[in-house]
Amino acid sequence: MRESLIKAQPWLGLISRLVLGGVLFIAGYLKVGTPDKSQMAVRAYEVLPISLANLIGLLLPYVEIGIGLLLILGVYTRISAALGGAIMVVFIVAIAQAWARGLTIDCGCFGGGGQVAASETKYLSEIIRDTALVLLALYLIRYPNTKFSIDKSPKLAK
Amino acid sequence: MGKKDAGAPKKDNFTRNLVVVVVVGVILIMLVPTLISKQGDKTAAIPASVSSSEGYGIVFNADLVGKPKIEIYEDFQCPFCAQFEAMAGEYLEDLIAKKEAKVVYHPLSFIGDESVRAANAAACAADENNFLAFHKNLYSNQPSAENSGEWSNDYFKAAGLGVGITGGNFASCVDNLKYQDWVVNVANEGGKRNVNSTPSVFVNGKLIENESIRTNQIFDLNKFKSAVAKG
Repeated sequence: MRESLIKAQPWLGLISRLVLGGVLFIAGYLKVGTPDKSQMAVRAYEVLPISLANLIGLLLPYVEIGIGLLLILGVYTRISAALGGAIMVVFIVAIAQAWARGLTIDCGCFGGGGQVAASETKYLSEIIRDTALVLLALYLIRYPNTKFSIDKSPKLAK
Repeated sequence: MGKKDAGAPKKDNFTRNLVVVVVVGVILIMLVPTLISKQGDKTAAIPASVSSSEGYGIVFNADLVGKPKIEIYEDFQCPFCAQFEAMAGEYLEDLIAKKEAKVVYHPLSFIGDESVRAANAAACAADENNFLAFHKNLYSNQPSAENSGEWSNDYFKAAGLGVGITGGNFASCVDNLKYQDWVVNVANEGGKRNVNSTPSVFVNGKLIENESIRTNQIFDLNKFKSAVAKG
């Protein structure tokens, strides 16, 4: 049992990398062409001053694409996973505060965003999804040796 | 990485660093043009009816005093904006014609390329003193899908003809995206005003919540009229 877990570990790592990195990459890719919308989505959380929210709305899709690519390729896996996980924690906090304050917004995670009707909010499922991604990030921080990664030194490969 | 990796060969680190540099480089190359285009250009061409002091909106009855000011932030591709226009369009045109309100239209473009083209074409129509008819025409023919390719420059030129705009100025204005930089300015001003959904309607500077002018999820003209009357 223990042996097979050890054997499976780099493969689980690969899956974690591809899922976390893939979600980040797609999320960034879907937003990168519509900066106005992305800025609107960040403003709608009503946390940051408007000018800072607009700057983050502009930069965030590029950051997501970057971390997503590094994870997919498996470069500096532990650091990339830590960054990806940290972003997800920020998202969870942002969504939770919007929920707690009774705002009615779309998270804007994959494009979209801004204010929506109260019946269209999906806070719980958004938080569950992001929490699952944080768990993948934690797994990668604990076990950064994964299959098919650029990180892996050729000498260690078996 | 872990302990085992501590002695990883240098060649490996070189590859990793190279990949990081390439990824960061490609992203910067993509990011910089976006940052520049989002700067906006205060010297951009604007239609005669546009006022930079009104958030670059298209203004009707600019000099009217003592009457309500109605500001509408909208996106030509937004379905709720089409619903709002169907409900309030004629009423607003009436207020404008009778000089009973100052009305400012802010065509936003957050849905994408075809919103930019539509806003540009609407500004071109404003130059021909035909903004309101063109505005109504676009909303009543809004494509069911966003950025589907249906709203091309040729489409807008035909729509212009449909509301009686003739002559080459309009066509070249549409084709050359003459007011493209103005569209960026409108969007930036909307962002600064914290407009986070469309339509966003302000009466005398106060945001009218969309929920408050709907009945059973549908825009209600009577509720909107009383919101305007209340000021």
